[in-house]
Amino acid sequence: MISVDSPGQNAAMIEKLRLSFPMLSDPDRIGAIEPFGVADSKDPREIARPSIFVLAPDAEVVFADTSRDFADRASEDAALAALVALGLPATSPEEIESGPPEPGPRAMPLHAMEPYFRGAKFAVTAMRMRHADVAEDAAVYIAQMDRYIELVRALRGKE
Amino acid sequence: MPAADFTLLDQAGVPWTLNDHLDTARIVVFLRGDW
Repeated sequence: MISVDSPGQNAAMIEKLRLSFPMLSDPDRIGAIEPFGVADSKDPREIARPSIFVLAPDAEVVFADTSRDFADRASEDAALAALVALGLPATSPEEIESGPPEPGPRAMPLHAMEPYFRGAKFAVTAMRMRHADVAEDAAVYIAQMDRYIELVRALRGKE
Repeated sequence: MPAADFTLLDQAGVPWTLNDHLDTARIVVFLRGDW
């Protein structure tokens, strides 16, 4: 995973969400965010738009999905299908070594995430009732929030 | 089209280079971060 966050912030994210893959830091956006064309021109900080790329062992891009803005998420299911279609043998999770966790000033503790996602879900539910033209988008977003709530509950069950 | 190689610091502050890790397929995910 790649974002503008520092190695310390990424170490904190790995610890909080018990991630088993590396998180890379691209604070200047010139290492990967701009070369992959995912900088968000609508955001004054030009942080990355949520995106997924699947690369074959020869670095060929076999799947690419870049969201419209920060609120979208690229399709995990479609990315995994593209990965499976490569027909490669399964691999084991990598050993992750982290430096000292240094959460950013806006980092959300795990216990605050479920109420946050529930609030986002209910706000979008209200908007869907008032604006029929966003119903399809809202349904996707609400399903996403339900999935995040489920994942946070599973993580908190391991605390 | 092949992805351009890159080197970025990982969560331990150690350089991580894409081409050194293409022994198998890779999923590269970009997040908004900054929180």
